[in-house]
Amino acid sequence: MSMLVLMIAAAFYAGAAAAYVAFFARPRYVWLASAGQAILSVAFVVHAVAIGLGCREFGGAEFFSLRGGLVLLAWLVAGAFLVLQRFTSVPTVGAFVTPLILVVLLPALFATPGGAQIVPETVRRPSLTLHIVTAMLGVAFFGIAFMVALMYLLQEREVKGKHFGALFSRLPSLDSLDRLNQRLVRAGFLVFSVALVTGALVAKGVWKSAWSWDPQQVSSLLIWLLYGGMVQLHHTGWHGRRYAVLTLVGFVLVIGSMVLIGSIPGVTRHGGTYQ
Amino acid sequence: MSGGSEVHLVGLSHKSAPIAVRERVALSGDALKEALLQLKGMDGVEEAMVISTCNRVEVYVVGHGLEPARRFFLDRAREAQEHLYERQGFEAVRHLFRVSASLDSMVLGEQQILGQVKEAYGLASAAQVAGATISRLCNRAFATAKRVRNETEIGRGASSVSAVAVELVEKIFGDLQGRGVLLVGAGKMGALSAKALSDLGADRILVTNRSPEKAAALAEQVGGAAEPWEKLPDLLTAADVVLVSTGAPQYVITRDLAAMAMKARRQRSICFIDVAVPRNVDPACADLSNVYAYDIDDLQKVVHETRQSRAEEAIRAEGIIESEVTAFTRERETRAALPVLAAMRRHAEEVARAEAERTLAALGGKLDDKGRRSVEAMAKAIVNKLLHGPTARLKEAAASGDDTLPGAAAELFGIENEPPAGREQGSGADVVALPERK
Repeated sequence: MSMLVLMIAAAFYAGAAAAYVAFFARPRYVWLASAGQAILSVAFVVHAVAIGLGCREFGGAEFFSLRGGLVLLAWLVAGAFLVLQRFTSVPTVGAFVTPLILVVLLPALFATPGGAQIVPETVRRPSLTLHIVTAMLGVAFFGIAFMVALMYLLQEREVKGKHFGALFSRLPSLDSLDRLNQRLVRAGFLVFSVALVTGALVAKGVWKSAWSWDPQQVSSLLIWLLYGGMVQLHHTGWHGRRYAVLTLVGFVLVIGSMVLIGSIPGVTRHGGTYQ
Repeated sequence: MSGGSEVHLVGLSHKSAPIAVRERVALSGDALKEALLQLKGMDGVEEAMVISTCNRVEVYVVGHGLEPARRFFLDRAREAQEHLYERQGFEAVRHLFRVSASLDSMVLGEQQILGQVKEAYGLASAAQVAGATISRLCNRAFATAKRVRNETEIGRGASSVSAVAVELVEKIFGDLQGRGVLLVGAGKMGALSAKALSDLGADRILVTNRSPEKAAALAEQVGGAAEPWEKLPDLLTAADVVLVSTGAPQYVITRDLAAMAMKARRQRSICFIDVAVPRNVDPACADLSNVYAYDIDDLQKVVHETRQSRAEEAIRAEGIIESEVTAFTRERETRAALPVLAAMRRHAEEVARAEAERTLAALGGKLDDKGRRSVEAMAKAIVNKLLHGPTARLKEAAASGDDTLPGAAAELFGIENEPPAGREQGSGADVVALPERK
């Protein structure tokens, strides 16, 4: 059942992406952006229902797996973007973020859920839930920042290379993209910090030590340091291109550690059966 | 129908006349209003409108013949004679549509002209020299211009060097709130662009020049502050957009100077716009991160591309104009039959009412209310039934451009010399025959 609802949510996401991309191609039709936002909101709600149903069907342990993580991540990217839209109107960003949601969600649609697993008594604690949600929300912010940085680099290439074509006129100004990127990195860093602390708390409870040089812990710390460095760098005069490139690198690391470390057996105890 | 009253146009524009002639016939304000009233007072003029901009002066007249409009020009400048163009009927309609849609402008697709035509119409309306025909004509022209703007990309892109500079700056900085513009050198191009940039909301404009007097003069002109030439390296940290237009034969902004400035700016973006020939900004500056540098060729290339793409869009726009002109003239041909129809109907209804009253009077009080109403209804029904066929056929004939049937009907009913139909049917000036289209 939850799979079906998730499919419906994915269809709405595809609709939202189509509307946003169409708006990007034909900025004259402003209603396309509003339509995109409306469809995205519907997708977000349907997706929430799918997650709720999924928890009933497969148990919370589903979120220990990559599949569960992706489902949650896609939902949080959508949510974060909708909230972002409330504060700054950036409909062109929608043309980049909504396809990202689809890319994140697609593997989850075709992977089979792990089956009804009971979360072991030992890890049942609020800090774990908080850890999972904040980690994914942080990644969601970094993901949106990644797309914004990509837009920045595209626009920078147009502006510097003196191609004043279709992309040039449709993409927002470099300055606004730069500032948006920095804000997203700051927000992501804050939330990710919470994930790191709660992760350590869970580890202390389950593994009996907050820090055990687990590859997942190490990579998360590296990521945290990288983004933390970027938040600081901003004050010392890092702008524009270099900042955008760092944002890209950061998100590649995030996705790499999320996908790779977990999928090679025996590398990490994180997110596994906790035995 | 008031016998062959038509839309006439006599005018001259940047395409037909040099500025020396245009400026002699151009009018504005009270002089224009006076000229309108004078036009309206001439024989054979029912309505008038004058579009007067620095690129064109055009007189639109609804009435009989071109002569009054032609006299407008010749009274003001004899030499205008050889520069005038004249249009009548649907050709004049098409011309106004093209002008409003900026297809006849010096810079194709520029947006000012529509406002100027609207202003001309507003003036003519206010002076009560524009009537129903000009009003309909203008409203259709405005709608057509809007269609052209929405359905083609004729208004897209920057079509002048300073517009390109503004667009570039916008794409780098967004707006210029809280930012500074620095003018290096006293070139005219730089001053022009500085004006455009200060419209973007730049906080401060700094001006520097080798000669302090020139700097001070230019600063006053653009509303900025003059700074000594020696301070140039420091000024590069205070400004975000630097317009360079000096007469210097070498680079004024070298790569080293730009690199130093970037350090002092903590890598905040800077944009150099070099409108000088020979160039004053080392193109190698653009290799630095967050430094954007453009020379006059870059800007002119964009202008050229914009104009080219607008020229392509203009072909599509002409199609829209044609369809609108056709629709407009057809509509009006149909309307031309309306006064005859209205007169016919009014005449018939009057007869019917009079006859019904006479019948009722003859019957005295023998009828109750219901009986009275029946008699009146019968009279009306007879009128409607009798007129139904002729009405349909007249409308048909008018729509297909056939002028003879309405004329015949008018004669047949003896209503040709009646005063113009009531206001709700449009005044006499409303009736304008157009020459048959090929």
